[in-house]
Amino acid sequence: MKLLNSTARGSSAVLAGALLLGSLTACGGGSTQAGTKVDTSTLTLAIDSDSASFGYDPLRVSAAQRQFFEGLYDSLMVLKADGSAVPGLATAFEYNADNTVLTLTLKEGVTFTDGSTLDAALVKANLDRRSDPALSAYSAVAKGGAQEITSVDVVSPTKVSLTFAKAQPGFEKNLASTTGMIVGKAGVTDTASLAATPAGSGPYTIDASTVKGNKYVMVKNDKNADASKYAFSKVIFSVIQDPQARANALVSGQADVAMLTSPTVDFAKSKGLGISQIGGTLHTMVSFDKIGKTAPAFASEKVRQAFQYAINRKALVDALHKGDIPAWNALPKDSAGFTEELNTKFAYDPAKAKSLLAEAGFANGFEFTIVGSAETQTDLQAVQKDLAAVGITMNVKMASSTDEAFAAVATTPLGYAALGWDNPVGLMYGVVLNGFTNVQKATDDQLTAATGEAAAAKDDAAKKAALTKLNTRLVESGWMIPLYESLTNQGYNTKKIKQVEFAGTNAYPLLSSYAPAS
Amino acid sequence: MALFITKRLLMALATVLVVAVLAFLLVHAMPGSPGAVSLGAGASQEAIDEVNARLGWNDPLVVQFVRWLGDAVQGNLGTSLIDGRSVSDDLANRLPVTASLAAGATLLSGVLGVALGVTAAVRGGMVDRIVGGICGMAVALPAFWIGIIFVYLLAVQSSVFPATGYVPFEASPQDWALSLALPVITLAVGGAAFIARQTRASMLEALQQEHIRTLRATATPTWKILYVHALRYASLPIVAGIALQFIGLFGGSVIAEQLFAMPGLGQAVQTSVSTHDAPSVQGVVVIATVVVVAVNLVLELATKFLDPKLRAS
Repeated sequence: MKLLNSTARGSSAVLAGALLLGSLTACGGGSTQAGTKVDTSTLTLAIDSDSASFGYDPLRVSAAQRQFFEGLYDSLMVLKADGSAVPGLATAFEYNADNTVLTLTLKEGVTFTDGSTLDAALVKANLDRRSDPALSAYSAVAKGGAQEITSVDVVSPTKVSLTFAKAQPGFEKNLASTTGMIVGKAGVTDTASLAATPAGSGPYTIDASTVKGNKYVMVKNDKNADASKYAFSKVIFSVIQDPQARANALVSGQADVAMLTSPTVDFAKSKGLGISQIGGTLHTMVSFDKIGKTAPAFASEKVRQAFQYAINRKALVDALHKGDIPAWNALPKDSAGFTEELNTKFAYDPAKAKSLLAEAGFANGFEFTIVGSAETQTDLQAVQKDLAAVGITMNVKMASSTDEAFAAVATTPLGYAALGWDNPVGLMYGVVLNGFTNVQKATDDQLTAATGEAAAAKDDAAKKAALTKLNTRLVESGWMIPLYESLTNQGYNTKKIKQVEFAGTNAYPLLSSYAPAS
Repeated sequence: MALFITKRLLMALATVLVVAVLAFLLVHAMPGSPGAVSLGAGASQEAIDEVNARLGWNDPLVVQFVRWLGDAVQGNLGTSLIDGRSVSDDLANRLPVTASLAAGATLLSGVLGVALGVTAAVRGGMVDRIVGGICGMAVALPAFWIGIIFVYLLAVQSSVFPATGYVPFEASPQDWALSLALPVITLAVGGAAFIARQTRASMLEALQQEHIRTLRATATPTWKILYVHALRYASLPIVAGIALQFIGLFGGSVIAEQLFAMPGLGQAVQTSVSTHDAPSVQGVVVIATVVVVAVNLVLELATKFLDPKLRAS
């Protein structure tokens, strides 16, 4: 080093400084601020998962992907802003006297991107795919499903009838989700083509600039008569899995609307962004076994009730789910069936839990195993501690495979799931009474009756009465042991987007409801 | 030289083949089958068996591998079990993203690292200690943490750069550069520190060589001594370090792609593994191997060019 003079040392330092400055300024590229660009022709939504991970077949996904596919496909019924279902591709519907046949009258002049047109034969071709087990949207209407469709018949070119295995009053609401979306002829004939090419008649079409799994770009479909109801000429669904990155994208202007997790809401608010919130998703322990087949204690309603008293929901939420709502109701806070009575009736009371266990013959407690996952592990550990305090030993076994997780409904007495109650009747028939949470085929006359009453309810008062009865019984019977209600948060740039509105209790706003700020 | 290149090319091909075999065997050792993966949990065994038979899953492993290899050399890496898309097309779209990220970060870390390393070696004393301390911290800090800090400072607080996303070069060169800025800087910090340390050590050794003293004695300009003679003498380990950086960044881009929502190979492999999409996993592994082997080959050729002793041998 002493070989070099000060000029040499200076030159190397200058070079280092110049390179450092140069590299930073080169990367900087000026002062363009993405956050201040306002482009009312484009709506960018930051979503938490790839809605089209299975390609562009809307029948391969559940109702949670309705918003994305609403852009590409029309459905037989459509959701309105108040959450009710009204005619869409079906201009009218009617049931027969015993609610076992639903006849739909179809809209005329609907053209799909593959050039095909809507008619009864196309609707039948769509619904006749229901035996395909890969089609999640059809799982309830497939053979053996809770809302099984036994046949689909073409009555005339514009009329098609759906015959059910048993009475299905109120089924039409299911047709406002992905179940009711109609795929064009090319997609039905060659389902593999849907991997890369949608075949819909919706208000948007996929643009070539789409990058699968990262950014889906939709542009207006001029052939759709209702396209004008959608405010933005281009919609971009940007997939950002990391919650903080989604919030950052919203703050820095890469997204106009973003699905936010509760912990990032305060951060977004502090940056002056708008937040719209809705509940609706109940994180609930579900009694798989109500007859004591996998654990004798679960045959007793008193034991299942003891769980309700033993769990300290408030502590759970404070510790692990700040911002969400502790739940003693099986149905969400915004549901017509919600009742404050349950909040007090089943408030945390370990002494009462012990007393119920003793009455049921389990004064010394009992032991059972629950299968958990990475997502549910911490919640289950919190519950485990509460149950141990009243003498119940809950062993948490982490699922080593998806198969094991699915098999748990038959091999273990209790599970833990996030349930959306947007369609209580559909959930009861499809999941709770006849579906995967009741493989032991337990029965409860009060639940069956309350579900039937809710399905047949003709007005709001009747619906409220039936749902309240249903909700109360779900908790009293211990079929459901609710823990907390998570909030769905939509953050939005108030300078560009009007306040985001949810469609009734649906956690995913209608794509048509996003409007530019005036 | 021709013989040397031929030998290295053959070794590179053999390496790719061995990795392809290993990837093939590992993918087949994964639980489940293509039918179970593509049809989902509710599928009947009959339906699963039908798909497996159609895809040749029941054929002997050797037959399956030869079939896959035959298609692969023609550019066909199969189709995704999840959405039926061409794996080759998907990876072709993603490769430029990861390559841009890795190349940009390598370039930046190389330039910064060499500059800092030379400065530390030449200035010595306090400057050397400061550079050493900064490099020590930069190597120790996790890339995701550095990324979070940069995003907060340069995207959330000041909106200098976009916080997330990737813009293809053909769409807008300026937006492409902006979209790469934060992830590139994030990845380059640790790499620059590593290269700075490497450069400092090599330069110190170079500056003590006799030919450098001779050059000083003959009044050769200082900048020429430093940046032509000494740096060239010290360049072998630096070049090797930069190449290793590229390989590491190429393979380790998952965190940056996740943090910045970039549609690269890292994101693809994460999704493919989580969905048990065997053809996609296999495709990514093979493509990544080809890139690494190619970089190693270039490195060997560069080393031969830079070192007269190796060139003569």
